[in-house]
Formats: sequence, structure tokens, C-alpha cells
Amino acid sequence: MHNGLFTRARHASLPWRKAALGAILAAAFLIPATAQALPAGCAALKEKYPDWKGKTLVNAINPHTPGYESIDPKDPSKYVGFDIDLGEEIGECLGFKLTYKAVTFAALLTTLASGQADIVISDIYATEERAKAADFITYSKVFDGVLVAKGNPKKITGINNSLCGAAAAENTGFVEVPLVQALIPICKAEGKPEPTLQLYDNNANCIQAILAGRADTYINDVNTVDNAVKAYPDKLEKAIAVTIPYSVGIAVPKDKPKFREAVMAAMMEIYKSGDQLALLKKWGLDPENLMEPGLLTVN
Amino acid sequence: MSLFLHYLSMPYLLEGIQVTFQVTALGLGGGVILGLILAWMQLSRFRMLAALARGYAIIFRGTPLLLQMVFAYNALPHIGIKLPAIIAAGLALACNEAPFIAEMLRSAVLGVDRGQVSAGQALGMTPGVLMRRVIAPQAIRTMIPAFGNESVSALKNSSLASVIAVQELTLRSTQLASSTFDFFSIFFASGLLYLVLTGAISVIQLFVEWWLDLDRTARPRRFADYLPWRRVDMTPGAAAPALDTGPVVQPDIVELAPPKALTREDRARRSATIARNNIAVEVKDLRKRYDAQSVLQGVDLTVRVGEVVALMGPSGSGKSTLLRCINHLENPDSGIVRVGGRRLGFRDDGRPLPPREIADERASVGVGMVFQQFNLFSHLTAKENVAGPLRWVHGLTRLDADRRARELLDRVGLSHRADALPRHLSGGQQQRVAIARALAPNPSVLLLDEPTSALDPELVNEVLEVIRRLAIDDGLTMVISTHQIRFADEVADRVAFLSDGMIVEEGPAHEVLSNPRHPLTARFLSVMEAEKVPEAVR
Repeated sequence: MHNGLFTRARHASLPWRKAALGAILAAAFLIPATAQALPAGCAALKEKYPDWKGKTLVNAINPHTPGYESIDPKDPSKYVGFDIDLGEEIGECLGFKLTYKAVTFAALLTTLASGQADIVISDIYATEERAKAADFITYSKVFDGVLVAKGNPKKITGINNSLCGAAAAENTGFVEVPLVQALIPICKAEGKPEPTLQLYDNNANCIQAILAGRADTYINDVNTVDNAVKAYPDKLEKAIAVTIPYSVGIAVPKDKPKFREAVMAAMMEIYKSGDQLALLKKWGLDPENLMEPGLLTVN
Repeated sequence: MSLFLHYLSMPYLLEGIQVTFQVTALGLGGGVILGLILAWMQLSRFRMLAALARGYAIIFRGTPLLLQMVFAYNALPHIGIKLPAIIAAGLALACNEAPFIAEMLRSAVLGVDRGQVSAGQALGMTPGVLMRRVIAPQAIRTMIPAFGNESVSALKNSSLASVIAVQELTLRSTQLASSTFDFFSIFFASGLLYLVLTGAISVIQLFVEWWLDLDRTARPRRFADYLPWRRVDMTPGAAAPALDTGPVVQPDIVELAPPKALTREDRARRSATIARNNIAVEVKDLRKRYDAQSVLQGVDLTVRVGEVVALMGPSGSGKSTLLRCINHLENPDSGIVRVGGRRLGFRDDGRPLPPREIADERASVGVGMVFQQFNLFSHLTAKENVAGPLRWVHGLTRLDADRRARELLDRVGLSHRADALPRHLSGGQQQRVAIARALAPNPSVLLLDEPTSALDPELVNEVLEVIRRLAIDDGLTMVISTHQIRFADEVADRVAFLSDGMIVEEGPAHEVLSNPRHPLTARFLSVMEAEKVPEAVR
């Protein structure tokens, strides 16, 4: 488990981190000894699924989402965030260790499919489409934030006709891409200009696109949007939060049902023990995201 | 600014340089190896290999490196080849660099003067020796700037490995930017780091250029002269202005003993001796076409040991082709060439020999050749031009080869220019070195292809002087194609006059030249005499 919390507290240099500090510290004090002890059921799981005990597995991530997964600015050799802690705990529960492979968002599932990674825990939304490439263990609800320039000059109010004529920055492969594309016929029918999409391959580029005036909005996970606003409070704001009909999922290879079963079981233990909630709070994420783990598979 | 400096010195980014360097080194190293193979395939005699190499180049030069990286990383595992990310990136980069490097190699190899290749072949060098000793040293020198470019571009291209999870400088920078939001300080810092790396490559390139500069020893040239802001006259002429102009030529000639003029009796005695000698070169019904043009249409010629035969005739009459067929630099279409009784270039059963065995045969039969354009190996000193082939082809020790080279350079009056590069020698001096080089292995026959045609008029005599002494003093068997009528008259025993690929008249030199029977010969001689009046006066 990375001790990112306290190193971050000591060295925080940017305003958003200072602002976040209070909340994080409060959370840390409210739930002491976060995930220190493994959930009780883990010992039994190690017996039931011994195949991964003592192994080192590769977790493919797109480490551009502070709060979920990013490098630790104070020790860039480490990755930190909610997903990282969650993955480590699943690993501890089943007896394996994780190493990380940083890829673009669009390459997460191809990296898994080619066997270059064993698991993907990287704030990826489980959709039917993606479930054709990998099996998902869902573990978190999705709330999207609509990031806009300060003052919301285009008056964007959500993923609706207020986006007509606007330029949306998104990462290649994001579920928001088809949602924006779906607005094209609606805008046309209303006689308004179509929304345009700019595709990048990480959050930082999307945020920079708004800062540079190239894009009008960036719609992504609400916590990511909140972090961006904290980093640039004078230049950015969150127009609104919207719900998206997906859950966040852990992707595992389709041809390893036993592994999927084991991860699902570990996830359930972590959820039931309250550790998952504790982790959400530790990373300053909305406890509303919590949901009971589920499966999404298609054939 | 302080953030910029913080990131500039951050170990995390500096470690990224190491990875960037590893990927680049794999890409360039692998690219050179693959490129060598591809260039070799393209230059090969076998069409199939060339076609394969061409196909490879079309695919790997025609698709984006990004896709190749993703392919090496994500597609290869599906056929059971799961490479670590750095190796996959290095492989993709190597496969991508290879066709570019192959083209550089190929153009550098083809850029080496064909004449030098002919000269090497005539000296009996096998294709391998020729490549190693003549072509590669020159090709590598011309390749350096292009290879410097390629290295810089490979280094920058290595950043694409970030898409396949290689933790190199670019990927580390973007991750750091994502987690800190210090977008610009980080990218300025990593940009500067790239600049330092590419700058280092430029410095290495300049150093290698300096190190391999042939003129470095001629005039001490400092490394600083190569830096871009220096304006130094790099022309070789400026390096040794006093040494390669006219005034030096005169003392050279003085060193040579004056020729002995042959009296009529001498000639008669000589021809009687020669008539009893064995046949040195025998040419029978030789035919050669280049595409539609017939260059040799059934030439017969016999040269006896000790005989000097002058081939005369207008340009394009086939003189050079005949000479090149005699030592098998050209493949005749039909007819027979025998040198010292042996049929060059063919097995006993009449099948053609591969280039390597032809080379060995040339060396053992001993046919020396002197070319119109001298064809000295331009990266070697005068002494090395003579001594090198002795070591590489005939297996002499360095000591013996050097002694022999000094001896021969002395004989052509050039011992004082032994360490000069060909480009610092006058044309006449170069041709004398070329003659020394051809004589070094003691050839049984010396072929001279218009040895003075490329020379300025005032330099012609020094070369003719050397040839004259070889004929008269040493009794060397020679076949010379020449336009120098007076010289042919003095030196040659026999003249063969070619026109349109056939010998139209042949006979004792003095007789043919003073009393031609064939109208074509007569017309040619009168035109040549008219043109050469100033020289005849001298």
C-alpha cells in the first residue's frame, strides 16, 4: 500500500492539493487503519483460488487520472490512487503482487487481449461494447462532470442540445465519445451546428485543450473534473454533474473465467468489509460511487 | 523557472533518458544489421533477393512507425512471441530504420567510383576484399552525415514507444504532467533533455567526420574546424597547394633515365625474337553486344610474350571493350580469350565461374590493367594503392608489400610522393602510380586503356616515358589502346586498327602507321596527325 497521503500532505505545493488536504486528513482520521487488515474472507479465497498465490501480475493503466491512478509527484516511480490501492488489496487478498504498465486509454483492452497485461483497473467504464473484448467486474457507479472554461461562455448544461456547435475534448475510446456523437442528428434536426469532437489520449491533453481555447468542454468522471477545477480555479469550472448509465469495471481476459471468479470474490470481500468505502474516502472521492460488485460479460 | 529546473534535474525524467537511449540503441543497432542485410540483398546478383528486399522496404517504409510499435507489442503475442516492451519498441524501430539505412548504404556503395571497382577487380580482388578494402571505407565516409541524421530521427522516433508502455522520456513527461498539472515546465524540461541528446549525436557525428577525414594527416586539422560556425577552406587543394602543380612534374621526369631509341636493326632483331616466343594472349572470334549495339563483331588477335601491341581506332571502335574482355572485366557473348594458355572466367567444362573464382584466377594468371581515368583507390595513399592489393590479394606481409611498393614508386619516379593521396597528385602522377600498382604483382600481360587520354597535354610525356621504358627495358608484354601515333610507332611492335568492332588492318607498327593500306586507317591517321601538330612539334 502506498503511503501517498502523508507524503502528499508534507510536500503539497499546488493550491488544489492544499484545498484537498483538509478533506483527506478528515477522512483519514474518521476511518483509521484503512485497509490495514485484510478482509476476513481472504484467507479462504487464497485456499480456494491458489493459482495466483505468489505470482506477480501486470496491471495495465492509463495513469493520467489523479485520484484514481497517476504517478506520485513526489516519488514518480510509484503509482497512486483509488484504483491502485484497490488493485493492491485484491492482490493481497488472493496472494499476488502487481506491476504496472502505462498505456494510452484506447490501448488498455488491447494490451489485456494480447496478454501483455493480466488485469486492467483504470477507471474504465464497463460497456457492452467493451465487454466483447474483456470481462468486467463492476465496482463503482459513474457520475460525469462537464468541465468548461470559467464562466461557462458557451452555456453548456449537460450532454444535450447545449453542446450543438461546441467542441468537446475527449480521450480516444471514451464512452462519452458516442454520447456526443449521438447529439449530431438532434442538433441537425433543430437546425443548429453539429458538435465537434477532439480526440486526445490522456486527461492532461483534454484539460489543456480547454485552457488553450481549442475545446469548449471536457466531459469525464466527476472526480477528474473536480481535480482539474482545483488545479486551475481561475480558468476552469464544472458546469454540472450528470449521471451516465454505466459502472466502472475491472477488466480481465475473456479466456480466464477462473481468474474472473477469483477477482470477483475478492472484490466482494473488499466491498463487504467496508474497505472499498474507506478507500473512496481516503482519495477524496464521493462515497455515492459505492456499489455492490457485479459482472458484465457478453459472448 | 524553479519548477522547470526542478523537473530538469528530476531523477525520474533522467531515468527516462536511459530508456530512451536503450530503445534508440536497439533501433539503430538492429537497423544497421537489418539494413546491411537488405542493402546486400538489393545489390545482390540474384533477382529474387533484390525483390524480397524491395518488398520489405515497401511495407516498412510505407507504414507508420506507430502502427509497427503497436504491432510488435500487441499483435506478436497472438502468434506466441511476447516481447518485453523495450525489446518490442526496439524491434519496431529497427524494422522501421532498416530500409532507410539500407538505402543510405546502397547509395553510398553505388556512389563509389565504378572505375575503382574495375581496378580492384583487375587486380584480382574477390568481391569480399573489394567490399572491405575499397568500397566500404569510402562508402562509410560518405554515409556519416546521413547516418547522423538517421540517428537523430531514431532518437526522436523512440518517443513513439510511449504508446506501448515503454517508460521513456515522453511517457514519463506526460504522466508527470497528468499528476502535477505542471504541463509546460515539464515539457520544456523534457524538450531540453531531448535537445541535449540530439546535440550529443551531432557532436559525435562531427568527431567521426574529423576522425575519418583523409586530409587530417596531410594537414593537421583541428576538430574545432568542423564546428558549424567555423569557416575553414576544406578543399584539399588548399591543403597542399605547392605539391600538385606543374613545377613539380618537371623534376619527376628528370629522375627517369632517357629512353633508348630503337634502330631499324634493333627492331628487326626484336621482332625475330618475339616471333619465336610463346603466345601470351589469344583472342578468337570475340563478339560482344550492349543491348542493340554490337561492340565487338568477331575479333581475332594474338599477342606473343614480350610483344607490345597498340590498338588504334576511332572512339567507339571497341578498343576498351576488347581490353576489358581480355581480363574478363566484361563477359564476351561468344568467342574465346586465352591468357597464358588459360581460358579466363570459365571452368574446364566451359561453364562460367562465379565472381570470386574469376578474381582468384585473374590474380594467378597475372593480367595487369591501367585505365584511362587512373582509377586509383582515392582513400589510400600512393604507397598503399600499390602495397594494399599485394597484401590483400597476394598475401604479402606488410613489410614485403611496402618494400615492393617503394621500389615500384621509385621506378616511376614518385618515391617522394609515396604518402600523398591520389587527389593531391597531378593526373600524370596518378597514372604513374596506377602503372606501379598494375606492375606490382608482376603481371604476365599489362593492358593499358588509353593511358594518356585523360591527361593535360603537358603531362602526357611523363606517362608515355614510363610505358616506353617498360616495353623497351623490361620487355613486358603489353596491349595498349592509344591515340598517340608517334608513341605507338616508337614503342609498339605491332598495330591493330579497329573500326566498328572489327580489326580492319594489322601489321608491324612502323609499316601500318607510315603506310596504311586500308582507307579507314589512312583517314584516321591523317585526322590524328592534323590534330596533333603542336605535340608533334615538341
